[in-house]
Amino acid sequence: MNETVDAVVIGTGAGGAPLLARLAKAGLRVVALEAGKHWNPKQDFATDEKEQEKLFWTDERLSAGNDALAFGSNNSGIGVGGSTLHYTAYTPRAQPTDLRIRTDFGVGEDWPLDFATDIDPYYDEVEQFLGVSGPSPYPWGPPRKKAYALGPLPINGAGQLMERGCKTMGIKTSPAANAALSAGYYQEGVGFRHACTNRGFCQAGCSVGAKASMDVTYLPLAVHYGAEIRSECFVTQLVQDASGKISEVIYVKNGQEERIRFKNVFLCAGTVETPRLLLMNGLANDSGQVGRNIMAHTALQIWGEFDEDVRPYKGIPGALISEDTHRPKNADFVGGYLLQSIGAMPLTYITQMARKRGIWGQKLKRAAAAYNHVAGINILGDCLPYERNFLELSDEKDGRGLPKPRIHFSNGESEERMTAHADKIMRDIWGAAGAKNVWSFPRNAHVIGTCRMGHDADTSVVNADGRSHDIPNLYISDNSTFPSALSVNPALTIMALALRTADKFLANT
Amino acid sequence: MNYTAITLLETDLVTDPTRNVLIARLNAPARQPAFFLPDEFTLLEAVCDRLVPQQAAERIDMAGQIDKRLTEGEGDGWRYDDLPPDAEAYRLGLRGITESAEVMFGNSFQNLSDVQQDKVLADIQSMVAPGETWKQLPADRFFEELMADAAGAYYSHPLAQAEINYVGMADGSGWERIGLNELEEREK
Repeated sequence: MNETVDAVVIGTGAGGAPLLARLAKAGLRVVALEAGKHWNPKQDFATDEKEQEKLFWTDERLSAGNDALAFGSNNSGIGVGGSTLHYTAYTPRAQPTDLRIRTDFGVGEDWPLDFATDIDPYYDEVEQFLGVSGPSPYPWGPPRKKAYALGPLPINGAGQLMERGCKTMGIKTSPAANAALSAGYYQEGVGFRHACTNRGFCQAGCSVGAKASMDVTYLPLAVHYGAEIRSECFVTQLVQDASGKISEVIYVKNGQEERIRFKNVFLCAGTVETPRLLLMNGLANDSGQVGRNIMAHTALQIWGEFDEDVRPYKGIPGALISEDTHRPKNADFVGGYLLQSIGAMPLTYITQMARKRGIWGQKLKRAAAAYNHVAGINILGDCLPYERNFLELSDEKDGRGLPKPRIHFSNGESEERMTAHADKIMRDIWGAAGAKNVWSFPRNAHVIGTCRMGHDADTSVVNADGRSHDIPNLYISDNSTFPSALSVNPALTIMALALRTADKFLANT
Repeated sequence: MNYTAITLLETDLVTDPTRNVLIARLNAPARQPAFFLPDEFTLLEAVCDRLVPQQAAERIDMAGQIDKRLTEGEGDGWRYDDLPPDAEAYRLGLRGITESAEVMFGNSFQNLSDVQQDKVLADIQSMVAPGETWKQLPADRFFEELMADAAGAYYSHPLAQAEINYVGMADGSGWERIGLNELEEREK
């Protein structure tokens, strides 16, 4: 019980799992602590959205600001594998220009990393290991050194409709990169994974193992190399010793407090729980930046009804992509966005319509009855950090007796202009594709920021390697460290940075 | 064969984990309220019937599911900062609906006509409904939460999924025909 391990990793999602595997492979004694359960997808996952709400982080968060963010299903997961249990597996790469927003636009932040040397090689490695399915060559961004591991997944109805609309408008499209297998795949240390069956329930948990969630990829690899994963362990305290290092954490398992001692600790609990833990413990915040700079992707959705049978529950939801809007000409906003086709599960579609379209009664029932004929198109766009957007601890306690986090978020002028730009383009695409009863669902997705990385200890929380400026044996590896939001979904970049952080740690110790 | 969400459950076109969940939901008995008082519960039932109207003889117990959620303290992971905790929001919101009905039509909500009930709810949604309670509870936010709960309870039920011809729970095998107008036997 008094063992001191080399490293403890808190959180087993996209930030924790790759790093855990890397440290274990290097021969370190590593233990991961995960708040949620260890599921057996084949037995435990139903093709039913309500049942699968068990994959969402449901400890309550308070959402403030003009564009209050939704959590739970939108942004956060629980369980061995973290949010990757319910991510869509959409894995486009960031482009080099995403890392130099301040250089190019004079606002926001640059990344303290070089795309070609610090990120690109890790993208290659992660894509090959996960078995990302995508087109080669890929039409946007710098030339790739390696083709995608597998060919693209088949295009579903929504993807065909977007292809049709974009063709009319002269917008280039391509099958998207998705971390779900278009063919069976074998990796040493992981074993064989089955090809995707087009079940369409990626956001409610994959029951066939085709989707590259961490529980079927990096975590089995970590265990293969000797890592230990302790599930249902909720970390509450980080204990600092006299030298200033963090020497142990206290966590709650089955209602009992337990402790583990270590030489190094990696916080990989995501943009909300990572800063919450630091703020609760009063740690690593000499800069005053912990909890600041919250960003969330612009993520407007446009929905429409079509004469054709679409059956939006089938196939990989994000089948088709366009990055023609990465840096649109004559744009009056900062950065850019990608366009994607989207399928939808019925409960998600109907409840978001009930929330944000404002229809009820017979109108809602008519719109719900059209479910088999609906398809959506979506953007994912950059977002600037603002002084007014931050996370704090509230006075209200949750069921565990811990302060609920309050997250303030309001879009700025740039995000509103980008959304207006996208609204017009997407309505035109859907009009050209033959949509009727078109409606828009304004939203923000993927909460990012709160423990920014940077060279300057006064304006950032961790350095470019993910190490705390204040506490030498504390590292952060998750989406909280992103200095800017990027114009793509974050998961692939989180995993790439996790491997980089692990390599830098191993090289320096 | 004309499959529905109900008839599919009796076939091997649905896996056991999915079938078990849906059959339990289908066969769940109507709930005796544990969180709401009897008066509150009948009001909530009347409100849900306007938000998501149902004609079928077999009724989906929306109010019961909301009662269950609040009894067990379950949430969806977030709430608007300007709303009180869910339990309090529901108590206040139902009181607000009662007040609005009284001021607007001089009667309890349940005794109003369908048209009058809809008018009360529409005015709450657009934040113009009268009543002291709406000064402390943002009416539009409460309406949105109530709407999401009611629609979630209704459309997670196999009977409602049959009503919209949804068969995505047929997960016994994968889908091969996924393009536009491409249907498999179990989707016809």
